Amino acid sequence: MKNYDLITPEGTKDLLFGECIVRRNIENTLLELFRSRGYSEIITPGLEFFDVFNQKSRYFPQETLYKMTDSKGRLLVMRPDSTMPIARVVATRLHDAVLPLKLCYNQTVYRNESVLKGRSDETVQAGIELIGSQMKIADLEVISTAVDSLKAFGMEFSLEIGHIGVFKMLVDKLETDEKDKEYIRNLIENKNFPALNDFLDTFGNNHITSALKKLPALFGGEEVFEKAEELIPDENVKHILDELRDIYVSVAELCGNDGNITVDLGLVNKTDYYTGLIIKGYLQGHGEEVISGGRYDRLISEFGYDIPAVGFAVNVNAISKVIEKNGILPAVKGADAIVFAEEGCEVAAIKAANELREQGLVVENALFSDIESVREYAKEKKIARVVVVDSDNQEEDWENE
Amino acid sequence: MNKPIRIALTKGRLEKDTVGLFEKLGFDCTAIHEKGRKLILPVPDANAEVVLAKANDVITYVEHGVCDMGVVGKDTIMEMQGKFFELVDLGFGRCKFALATKKGYDFYRGYGVKTIATKYPNVARNFFEKKGMDTEIIKIEGSVELAPLLGLADGIVDIVETGTTLKENGLEVIEDVAPISARLIVNTVSLKMRQAEIEKLIKLIEVNL
Repeated sequence: MKNYDLITPEGTKDLLFGECIVRRNIENTLLELFRSRGYSEIITPGLEFFDVFNQKSRYFPQETLYKMTDSKGRLLVMRPDSTMPIARVVATRLHDAVLPLKLCYNQTVYRNESVLKGRSDETVQAGIELIGSQMKIADLEVISTAVDSLKAFGMEFSLEIGHIGVFKMLVDKLETDEKDKEYIRNLIENKNFPALNDFLDTFGNNHITSALKKLPALFGGEEVFEKAEELIPDENVKHILDELRDIYVSVAELCGNDGNITVDLGLVNKTDYYTGLIIKGYLQGHGEEVISGGRYDRLISEFGYDIPAVGFAVNVNAISKVIEKNGILPAVKGADAIVFAEEGCEVAAIKAANELREQGLVVENALFSDIESVREYAKEKKIARVVVVDSDNQEEDWENE
Repeated sequence: MNKPIRIALTKGRLEKDTVGLFEKLGFDCTAIHEKGRKLILPVPDANAEVVLAKANDVITYVEHGVCDMGVVGKDTIMEMQGKFFELVDLGFGRCKFALATKKGYDFYRGYGVKTIATKYPNVARNFFEKKGMDTEIIKIEGSVELAPLLGLADGIVDIVETGTTLKENGLEVIEDVAPISARLIVNTVSLKMRQAEIEKLIKLIEVNL
């Protein structure tokens, strides 16, 4: 039988030293940012019942879930997302909590991605959920947090907003079944103009089909809103566009010259899940979005608590990747000093090392029997100070200056 | 000047057709004509860089964003799938996916599960899945036409251009699966981060098709 004891499963990897520092720095930066805005952290289990993710608005195809059973044979999954478990917690333990609830998280999600595509099955996501407010200011609060999250890493970024309502209103006026609507959604999501045009032509030429054909092209800066109003003469759509434009203008002001804010009315992913605003964030040098989120006012009601919510998640792995690609890996700081104990002086040496640590130094206890090996090791590890503790006293032995 | 837009081209016929299109747009493609063994080639007037790759790799490079755009056949897109924008039907490289059997064979008759030989297992699987039909799919790397002749498969799902190969081997198309042509695909982030440049290039391409 083949033994797999020397490798990690496809889609996972070990992180060493500098990579861990990058990861932790990102996590700390984001959590600190969320906390400073009044969000409280929650941690949900890595294992959940499959049912949590099998809601009406589910969007996890079953083949992407890591599944197992518990001791009673019930189906478990490794959490593929944090928002659904948080919805579960909100509908149960936080049912009577004061609103709005501001929650944040930083945890790994697991998805069985296609093999040999360079994708990770294990992704750390840090994000926020703002629960219990439907006001525009809530959307703005979440978007501005997303902007700050992108800004925090000092790279060129772009934040994009959209609104699922435009697509939903148009497609609902089309007389056809759910399967066709899903097909149209898919074509718009992929900006597949040739196929979209061909397919919509079969529904005749009216203002609905011509608006749907234009939807994936309606992306860019503020000029998109004018174009959209011209192309989609519909009162309800206009109402959504006005709201979105308001948000756009506010966010653009908040962004200043630091980043780029854009709008894409062709953002139509996860239509069963999102009910309004959609947010995406991009960093220069990464081929996929690093932030994804939006408003999902119906999700928590599927757990029995009818309450609106909006939030986003940052893909921490993606940000690490960009940072590492840009070569800004921080140097791993070694010890400042190493303490060597002559035979019989081990306790004194440990005490001496602790005293140095109290001064804020990183201190190693030497694990060698002779001072020459300690010096060699210190040289190799670039440790500047070697301290020798013998029966008489403690003497400094400076090296590697 | 911004860093050049990277365009992945499928080596072979689509590469030639795309270079023809670029020349029609007035771009100097000397570097591509005199490529030798080089795989990344500049197209200076377009501020672009052409990367020559196998069809499947074009999709992989564009998906990961290491190439901003790509030219690839719809056949590869249907087989590989993936996350990118499929913006333009370039119109060249036209052919189709079709289901073919030995001449006169009644494919849909009987309740036995049919065996399909193909180089495109996902395309074949999706086609029969839509019909709610269980099939056994066998992946073949070379001349798929051999499989029904040797008695391994009941039919094949393959790319058909003129149908000559089929005819010469006593096979015939019994159903079209999907039309194929070359597509211009764009990475989802590149389109947003470099919208002005990419849209300009695409407009130029569209008016010259």
